[in-house]
Amino acid sequence: MEIVVSQEQGRVPVTVLHVKGDINTETYDQLQKQAEQALQAGTRYLLLDLTEVPYVSSYGIRAISHVFTLLKDRSQDKDVVSKGLRDGTFKSPYLKLFNPTPQVLKVLTTAGIDMFLEIHTDRKQAIASF
Amino acid sequence: MEHTLDVAAELKNLAVIRHFIEDSAKRLGAGLNTIEDLIQAVDESAANIILHGYKGRSGKIVVEIRKEGSALVVCLRDQARPFDPTRVPPPDLTLPLEERRLGGLGVYLTRQLTDGMSHRVTSEGGNELTLRKKIR
Repeated sequence: MEIVVSQEQGRVPVTVLHVKGDINTETYDQLQKQAEQALQAGTRYLLLDLTEVPYVSSYGIRAISHVFTLLKDRSQDKDVVSKGLRDGTFKSPYLKLFNPTPQVLKVLTTAGIDMFLEIHTDRKQAIASF
Repeated sequence: MEHTLDVAAELKNLAVIRHFIEDSAKRLGAGLNTIEDLIQAVDESAANIILHGYKGRSGKIVVEIRKEGSALVVCLRDQARPFDPTRVPPPDLTLPLEERRLGGLGVYLTRQLTDGMSHRVTSEGGNELTLRKKIR
């Protein structure tokens, strides 16, 4: 798996992780570490580009959940986040997904990830949504 | 017709297992959606055998796929300690992501993406997991 990191500017600076390859038992840790590095470098808004990801296993879901938690914990709006999580209205304003394949989207929705993360299919809209 | 793969229970062989399922399922007449669901289910199951069954010890996984009527049937056999994944409770998807327990999602996806899952302990004291997927 390869991850290409880029920066884009919408209303806020957004770090895009363009993942190429499967996110599975062998590669999920690589995604987690790349996201952690981005956060340590000051990233606050992250877009995960899944255009070239043909397969996401449950370990890939685990990695996405980990990144979600990292970004949530860095939020300064902790009260807003907690309330949103409790009443089921919270979707992360810090981590969003872009352009999963139909099969990957099926796995993400089966695992309930779409309850907490916005999933976009238009890149400009995705960047502007932060 | 039956297709069989016998591999060492190592994470690097998960890709071999996925390709095997893809190629065999195509030959047995399955469509893309069926194949993709079956690949996911078998990969999740095999990963669990490697990580939780053998727990890093050496061993092997035998994967067999055949057509039965209008369904594909996949059997995964191992010699790990007996464990019945059909008894694993589903994760609570209503919980916030960080509150969900880490385990169980692979089995849950397997159950959701197939049309039947059963387990038995083999005569050698290992496991046989059978997955059924209707051909669409």
